Amino acid sequence: MKTRLLAFGFLSPALIAVFFFFLLPVLLTVVFAFTNMSTSTGIMGGAYQINETQMGSLRDTEVSPESIEKLEGAGYLISEAGLAALAEEFGEDTAEELRDDYLGETFAARRDLERVLRNLDDPIRNTRDRKAAADLFVSTVIGERFDTAEDFRAALVETGIDPADHDLLTEFAYTGWTWTTANFSLLAELPSTMRYASNTAFYVVCTLTFNILFGLFLAISTFYLPGRLANTFRAIWFLPRILPPVLYVLMWNWFTWDRGFIATVAGWFGAPQQNWMLHTSTHAWTAVILINGFVGASLGMILFSSAIKAIPTSMLYASEVDGANRWQQVRYIILPQMRWPILFMTSYQTLSLLTSFEYILLATDGGPGRSTEVWALAAYHTALNNYGGNLQYGLGAAYALALVFIGIALSILYLRFFNFKELLSKPRIEQ
Amino acid sequence: MTGTPRIWPLVLILAIFSTPLVIMYLYQIIDSVASPDPGSLIPGELDLSNWRFLWERIDSGRPTIWQVTFNTFLFASTTAFLVTLLSTTAGYALSRLNMPGRPYFLGGLIILHAFPTITLIIAIFIILQALGLFDTLLGIILVKAALELPFGVWIMKGFYDTVPWEIEMAGVQDGASRFRVWWELVMPQVKPGLAALLIISFLSGWSEFVLPLVLAPGSSTQVLSTFMNAVIQDDATADFGLFKAIGMYYSIPVIVIYLIFQKQLMNIYGGGTKG
Repeated sequence: MKTRLLAFGFLSPALIAVFFFFLLPVLLTVVFAFTNMSTSTGIMGGAYQINETQMGSLRDTEVSPESIEKLEGAGYLISEAGLAALAEEFGEDTAEELRDDYLGETFAARRDLERVLRNLDDPIRNTRDRKAAADLFVSTVIGERFDTAEDFRAALVETGIDPADHDLLTEFAYTGWTWTTANFSLLAELPSTMRYASNTAFYVVCTLTFNILFGLFLAISTFYLPGRLANTFRAIWFLPRILPPVLYVLMWNWFTWDRGFIATVAGWFGAPQQNWMLHTSTHAWTAVILINGFVGASLGMILFSSAIKAIPTSMLYASEVDGANRWQQVRYIILPQMRWPILFMTSYQTLSLLTSFEYILLATDGGPGRSTEVWALAAYHTALNNYGGNLQYGLGAAYALALVFIGIALSILYLRFFNFKELLSKPRIEQ
Repeated sequence: MTGTPRIWPLVLILAIFSTPLVIMYLYQIIDSVASPDPGSLIPGELDLSNWRFLWERIDSGRPTIWQVTFNTFLFASTTAFLVTLLSTTAGYALSRLNMPGRPYFLGGLIILHAFPTITLIIAIFIILQALGLFDTLLGIILVKAALELPFGVWIMKGFYDTVPWEIEMAGVQDGASRFRVWWELVMPQVKPGLAALLIISFLSGWSEFVLPLVLAPGSSTQVLSTFMNAVIQDDATADFGLFKAIGMYYSIPVIVIYLIFQKQLMNIYGGGTKG
């Protein structure tokens, strides 16, 4: 019993962290993907407001034209509240007269109401006074901000709009986020979706191939070199992995920019000055794959090197005694031993390449155009950083959701794949 | 292996592939202290003005380098400390303590270890805003520590797994509680693991870029990676000398740690870890 208490005590801080920063975000990604959350809707909630600039888009909805006309036309309403205010400022008589003749009537424009005020038996003569008086009867909801749906509906009732349209209008006026499946239909419609998907596939396949082949090459070749030389090369190839990404990509930027290394050397042979990373999409892809490939090959080299070291040297000596040459040794002894490390590297890197965008963001930022925009970067650009300034969290979450699903599915697959039983050896102290 | 005839073709191929990297490293150092004229590769005179960011602000509106360095250090060290602390206990519980649901916790750990956390950043962004931790160092520290945790627990569990059971058996036989056995007998055995995890999570925090970029974009919470990125983005003249000097300054701790712990780092990373 005590052991259990200790176990949970030891585990709970980690579990709390996992809950807040893994489980909750996974759930919320699903939730957000079904909303239209963005910078303009905010994340907490919203108010009810229809602005004049929105009237055009209101016509595209199913609200009936009469209601829209009323909404626009409901400029001025002779109401008791307005009359009371009028009585206070311009005298009971004027208010009384107006009540008798016009109570409940609406005027589309202020001009119309002003004409009425001028033609009263007891008219308001001063133009400025007439304006002020007319303003007392403003009843439009356009441009007004209501904190709750009830307030907004009450205002709609006053304008005399057909109650059938109230629901639609309230929905339209809501400035906060709402539930929707529009993100997914949008993803299905947009041609860029396919493009990002194929970009991602291309990027993952090419980088992964490079990582593994080159990582293997580095591991095997340094294995055959004398110690000092091997260590030098290992050090050169270990650095990309350990250097901060911002600095590592900066070095590549310098290497490829308009007056950087490649451009200078190419200039000696009369090549025109150009940015060797962003000139065409071919350049950009080459750069992106090499930048990520070098880092990945770095990891591959380390992993494969330690796997080669684990091969019993007696096997290698025996093969040499039997007259195997270098190539045969690699082909028949080393490579067969590399099966698990290669499998591990493939599965592990597939996931991390699918979802990471750090190096691409720093190197090309998806450019030129959108040619190196991969799925994960598109999610980032949509939700967290775009030039329009309106960050679409909902749509971005829909992008991310695809990756989250792939991530969970592949992780579970790997769990089945790799030897899970081995980890499960039972604790031996039973109390 | 034994007889090594004709290694020079191999060396040649390796050298050719390594040339771009070596050139980059070389000019990273050269350009930070002496900018060659653009269009030439021969370094000019020694010029320390690239390091001016150390004694003056590069431009107004930017925090001083010391403020940024302090932020980075605080971020990286607190994260490393938190990760190590939580992993030490959680790793022991998973490795040695019998409890209900242990297989599920272990399975969950492996899934989390493989799961690409970066996909969660949009949700985390909104969670931090709702919690009021957006654009604070505390916010990114918590997030970074939590995201590093599966890796840390994994590493620590690996170290605990290698500790012989006999040590604990003996302790329990002598009447010590499990807690005391852990603290006095097992902990000394996994000290190398603690050190390795501290170093790796410190390096990881020091290099982290995307989390501060997204979750702490303000200038008062800038860390060296976002500071350097901002300087690069805002500069229209492509002053690579300045960028490289900042880069040198930024990577000093990384290089120092690398030079001291090269062997151990390669071993740990060779154990199949994140990246």
